Amino acid sequence: MGLVKAKAVATAESAEPIQQQSCQELAAALEDADATVRRHAAQQITSCLDAATMLMSRLKREENTAVREAILNSLLRLHDPSIGSGLADCLRSEDAALRNDVIEAFKQLGGEVKPILRSLLADPDPDVRIFVVNILNSERHPDVEQWLIKVIERDAHVNVCATAVDLLCEVGTEAAINPLLDLKARFVTDAYIQFASDLALKRIRES
Amino acid sequence: MMDGLIVKEGVVAKRILIVDDAATVRMYHRGILESAGYAVEEAINGIEALEKSLEAPFDLYVVDVNMPKLNGYGFLSELRRQEIPQQPAIMVSTEAAPGDETAAYRAGANGYLVKPVQPAQLLTYTRLMLGEAIR
Repeated sequence: MGLVKAKAVATAESAEPIQQQSCQELAAALEDADATVRRHAAQQITSCLDAATMLMSRLKREENTAVREAILNSLLRLHDPSIGSGLADCLRSEDAALRNDVIEAFKQLGGEVKPILRSLLADPDPDVRIFVVNILNSERHPDVEQWLIKVIERDAHVNVCATAVDLLCEVGTEAAINPLLDLKARFVTDAYIQFASDLALKRIRES
Repeated sequence: MMDGLIVKEGVVAKRILIVDDAATVRMYHRGILESAGYAVEEAINGIEALEKSLEAPFDLYVVDVNMPKLNGYGFLSELRRQEIPQQPAIMVSTEAAPGDETAAYRAGANGYLVKPVQPAQLLTYTRLMLGEAIR
């Protein structure tokens, strides 16, 4: 049985030795060579005090899809404020499957990661900015359109703008019309920007 | 329809599957390819693409990288494991780092295009992959 957070609010020293050992065992199991053992540990470790740190550390190195899924499910259950920034680091990973899994996890995290997403829209890496716009796809908050408008007004990278326009096709209102026209003028030779912007403008005007 | 192939004016059109979670991108690629006479179908992720491919393999796959459920690498890896006719695939990505292109080829791609894709570029790659004359 793991070390239950609610029973160990004061200090780790106040916990019973057998419970500490149990969490230590789970931490060791999370690094086991056997993927089934790691997956089981990832599912059970959530009641341990530093579960978020241990899970995040393992996530960045984990290559087994089932274990990764178990880690992300456990992380989502923790509601720990450090999770958002940890997941943001994973968006920079060379591992496309990990990035994909993390994008899906971000979509499930909801409002608590909004400040992180907002700051990531200014990330120097355009790929990270594209991932963030894709994550916004799941947000149906009124701010999302304004964020997307700022992206197409300010971002210099064509693919970041293109991803934002894809989403404006769905959520854009009259407020997006002039920014879309400006975007078309900014990327006048890009066929995709022209196509997607025209589609967004058509849908906004027809709605 | 004849044996799963589309027939237009006596000519069998090559079947192409576009795999992308972005509806706008699918529409864009479809417009380019259909205007050149290809028969186009769509899938919104790797799982749907795999299901469609197992029903009737396509002549060419145009595949995005980042998609929910099963991404482009996962789809191509699974496709290449199946005992069906193995036709070429073009991977289309926003990511231009050399590692991404290598990963695409390792997964089973035959060509790699970085977005934004221009119409002439997509058609040239398509014709090249299908062994047709480049116009």
